[in-house]
Amino acid sequence: MTLLSQAFLMLWKDTLLELRRRDSLLTMFFFGILLLFVFNFAFDLEPDKITAMAPGLLWLAFLFTGTLGLAQLFQAERENHNLDALLLSPLDGGALFLAKATFNLILMVLVEIVVIPLFWILFNLRLWNLLPQVFLVTLLGTIGFCVLGTLMSALTLRARARELLLPLVLFPLMIPVILATIRCMEEVLRTGQFGDQVGWLRLLLGFDVIFLTAGVLIFDWVIES
Amino acid sequence: MRVTIDKLAKTYGFLWALRDLHLDLLPGECCALLGPNGAGKTTLLKLLGGLIAPSAGTIRFDGMDFSRSMPALRSRIGLLAPADHLYENLTARENLHFFTRLYNRVNPVSALDAALAQVGLDGRAGDYVANLSSGMKCRLSIAKWRLLQPELLLLDEPYGVLDGSGVDLLESFLKQQCTKGGIVIIASHHVSRVLNHCNRAVILSHGRLTFDEAKQRPWPSFDTAFSEFLPHGDS
Repeated sequence: MTLLSQAFLMLWKDTLLELRRRDSLLTMFFFGILLLFVFNFAFDLEPDKITAMAPGLLWLAFLFTGTLGLAQLFQAERENHNLDALLLSPLDGGALFLAKATFNLILMVLVEIVVIPLFWILFNLRLWNLLPQVFLVTLLGTIGFCVLGTLMSALTLRARARELLLPLVLFPLMIPVILATIRCMEEVLRTGQFGDQVGWLRLLLGFDVIFLTAGVLIFDWVIES
Repeated sequence: MRVTIDKLAKTYGFLWALRDLHLDLLPGECCALLGPNGAGKTTLLKLLGGLIAPSAGTIRFDGMDFSRSMPALRSRIGLLAPADHLYENLTARENLHFFTRLYNRVNPVSALDAALAQVGLDGRAGDYVANLSSGMKCRLSIAKWRLLQPELLLLDEPYGVLDGSGVDLLESFLKQQCTKGGIVIIASHHVSRVLNHCNRAVILSHGRLTFDEAKQRPWPSFDTAFSEFLPHGDS
């Protein structure tokens, strides 16, 4: 069985489990929406300041909802010693990594598809034509978050206070992604183009590629340790 | 498959779970792994399954050094832990489908259903594992390993949750495995039951091998070794 077919099999299993349990997606979905309402009540923003604040607020929402998803990512493997069953099998660690990162990416994208337009409505942003660019930047940032988050989630899998430990380990490492997405989004919302922030976009792409490759290569070691 | 264990040791911090272990297991052998709690039985099974790495020594399968980085070897090893290693929110059939695909064994739905019927779970194929009793989960694990056909099968306390017919099922499966040339290692405290169908007994105590002999009848040396590790007796 190839790496990709193993990854698809794991993804099929995780999707089936999520469709039945619905705990990750529903929790992320409602938490994301709740955060938007909290932001809306907390910040009485003037229209000219919204474009400057929007990227940061959106990414705060994505970081917190994404971390909820990451905390649940290996839940099925923690039950019944199923991680041992996977370690015992011929499953490639890279395939497990790809499947888990992709699964978390799917959950986050589904949440973002709802959260971003809702943000536009709640904060009365009229730049609907810029949504495709905003989604592109968000997608690149989300890939980086899921890739690195899956690695960190596996690293903290056997830790006692993993729910506390995960954001402590993950958020500092996410700084390049957060910075790059916020800068790119700011520019898009201000000028409608990436302009001279293309360098940040390249950084995002580079981050995604490097950590995706590293994850596939080292996940066997990460999950065993 | 031939399994050769040489100077195997495992430490957890400063605690020696296993030390200086030598074992040579031949095709067709069914080995009872006995010993008191904390003797190192489960650690040995985990080492053989590649779930943990040894602190010292080697495990060789057919002369090849075993490490977890060898997927081809991993697909030849099975660990039957009753009621474990199954996804609760997948059905019995889906669990079998998932694991047979993972082990690259092509099994049509009819073969999965036949395997379930063999262990008395026909009619429960569409039930979630969460809704099965512990004994049924163990039967499902037997069906799983029947389909996966490992050459080395490790069992950790398989008798606790099985009823009489479940034990018969398990024993006939183990017999089949050994007849086909597979190796079976059973760690258990049900000594008389496990010795019924094993042809070799190994006793561990404090991480050391204290007894290793092929089965005989009568077996005075085993009785002596057994009474040493369990002075109050376990039938």
